[in-house]
Amino acid sequence: MSTIKHRLTPLERSERRLGFAMLAPAFLLLAAVVVYPIADLIRASFTFLHLAQPWMGNPFVGFDNYAKALGDERFLEAVWHTVLYVIVTVPGAVVVGLGLALLANKPFTIKWPVRLGLLLPWALPLVFSGLIFRWFFEYNQGIANAILRGLGFAPLNWLTDPTLAFLTICLAIIWKASSFVALVLLAGLQTIPKSYYEAAEVDGASAWQQFREITLPMLRPAIFVALIFRTITAIQTFDIPYAMTNGGPGNATETLAMYIHKTTVDFLDIGYGSALAVLMFIVSAVITSGYLRYTRRDPGRH
Amino acid sequence: MAAIGIENLVKAYGATPVIHGVSLAVRDGEFAVLVGPSGCGKSTLLRMIAGLESVTGGEIRIGDRLVNDLPPRERDIAMVFQDYALYPHKSVAENIGFGLKMRGADAATIDRKVQEAAQILQIGHLLGRKPGQLSGGQRQRVAMGRAIVREPKVFLFDEPLSNLDAHLRAEMRAEIKKVHQRFGTTIIYVTHDQVEAMTLADRIAILRGGHLEQFDTPDTIYRRPVSTFVAGFVGSPAMNFIAATAAPDGAGVRLPGGVDLAAPEPLRQRIAGVAGKAVTMGLRPEHIGLHAGGGPAVPGRVLLVEPLGAETLALVRIGDVEATGRFSPESGLRPGADIALGLQLDRAHVFDPDTGRTLTAPA
Repeated sequence: MSTIKHRLTPLERSERRLGFAMLAPAFLLLAAVVVYPIADLIRASFTFLHLAQPWMGNPFVGFDNYAKALGDERFLEAVWHTVLYVIVTVPGAVVVGLGLALLANKPFTIKWPVRLGLLLPWALPLVFSGLIFRWFFEYNQGIANAILRGLGFAPLNWLTDPTLAFLTICLAIIWKASSFVALVLLAGLQTIPKSYYEAAEVDGASAWQQFREITLPMLRPAIFVALIFRTITAIQTFDIPYAMTNGGPGNATETLAMYIHKTTVDFLDIGYGSALAVLMFIVSAVITSGYLRYTRRDPGRH
Repeated sequence: MAAIGIENLVKAYGATPVIHGVSLAVRDGEFAVLVGPSGCGKSTLLRMIAGLESVTGGEIRIGDRLVNDLPPRERDIAMVFQDYALYPHKSVAENIGFGLKMRGADAATIDRKVQEAAQILQIGHLLGRKPGQLSGGQRQRVAMGRAIVREPKVFLFDEPLSNLDAHLRAEMRAEIKKVHQRFGTTIIYVTHDQVEAMTLADRIAILRGGHLEQFDTPDTIYRRPVSTFVAGFVGSPAMNFIAATAAPDGAGVRLPGGVDLAAPEPLRQRIAGVAGKAVTMGLRPEHIGLHAGGGPAVPGRVLLVEPLGAETLALVRIGDVEATGRFSPESGLRPGADIALGLQLDRAHVFDPDTGRTLTAPA
């Protein structure tokens, strides 16, 4: 490359102008629906803005909202619950998704039941999945307690006991999320040439050895993609606990996203809610960049 | 090492048969090549021997063991795949040692054997690299290293050279032959390239549409093909096939366009049983040349000249027949020139025009 600045010919300049002109509509749209709201969110997080107290106006308050968050016990609990959801549902969905992907990759003669089973949870709206599981675990009518009763056990307070409620929500999230993970991993599985397995088979590798020596290492990039996506959506967990318990009992299953929603929509405290949203955004960005750095450093990738 | 016995082997996918009762006895230590056009079933046959395809009917024996229902890992075979099937996330050394590791060999043994194999194949300096950093020829050597390191009873090769350029192919052909001479292991080798088959094989099995056409030494395949298919498949340029008629008195043949040729004694015997009938006469290009005394001269016209340096190929017209002949580069052929040709009709093959089978082959 030459260090001398390349002078553009008139043709190149006109091409470049055309390029910018064609990008402009998309850029303007993104600016209107992404850049502006984020900028306004950050601005609002440094102000006092409470819709139930309109007489207070919209004064600039510096880091007051952020300081308030650090002392807000309900916020810290919501963060802790969110972390727990991440710790349980990310590996859970990846393990279940891997199992589903391996199953779907088998040469079944009739493929549609497997594909349907794989795609249906993914295609269902989140709230709908939450409602389904809420019915499953409902105390009087739910199938879970019906089975327990049928087996002669006492029914359980699935949705009103703090620990059980957390576990049933995790179960619903894993069920819902594992199909997306499985789709990502299935795409990865299908890029592994069949001859690798045949060569391993001839060389004497058992099914488990083939999985460990070929499938798992070759699936690493796909697993990373699935982990990143799942982690980001796990940090934003909202719909399923909202539909199943609405954060209850008390606020035992409340996530960060739910608390932000309550703060802004129910309590109308826009300023404080904005600060919480900015914090969540920072956490997501930090975790994602950590993942990306790790994958880039990974020597096993090609 | 082991002989391989294939008895009446049948393969069908659903109701579609692809191998129709093939029998083949490969001797211990023999280099057998399965050859044929695509879709002839040669790869399927190899994969059945490997255990990668199930057997619909018949028997496969390796040594004295019936292996029909044994999984590949229990057949004591090693296979080199067309795409080499090297694991991209493992180093060359790990790839070569993979089979030993899977069978629970200890690290010191694996290391020693990998070093030995790498030495033989001259890839010792590549052991630390990943397959993605190797050239096609080097990958091919690694794939062979993975096979020889296990010291199996049988090596199976599935079109191993088809991804290489012509120069490398010649080099690796010699390399494979060396490996065979060194280890003396039975080899079954699949290719669609008749040059590979001729140069490598102790015996060639020619397959067509799931049937075995002929299984014999390269020399016999070339000189005594059992059918027009075999005759046309082996040899380059291919044998000329001429629709001729045997004279009613059996003393000669008539070519299309009314050219009458007297048959020398060996050809006379071959057409004795078909006097007055149509035959397909096969004549290799090396048996068509300039007339140099001996037999009668046949008038011909040069249509096309292809100088190859060591020899010159020319398409000539004899009566209504077009045929390729091999000429000396000094013969000075020009397109359009009328020349006197000498045909070595004593070397001509005679085939049944309907079935394509040989009537009698020249000795």
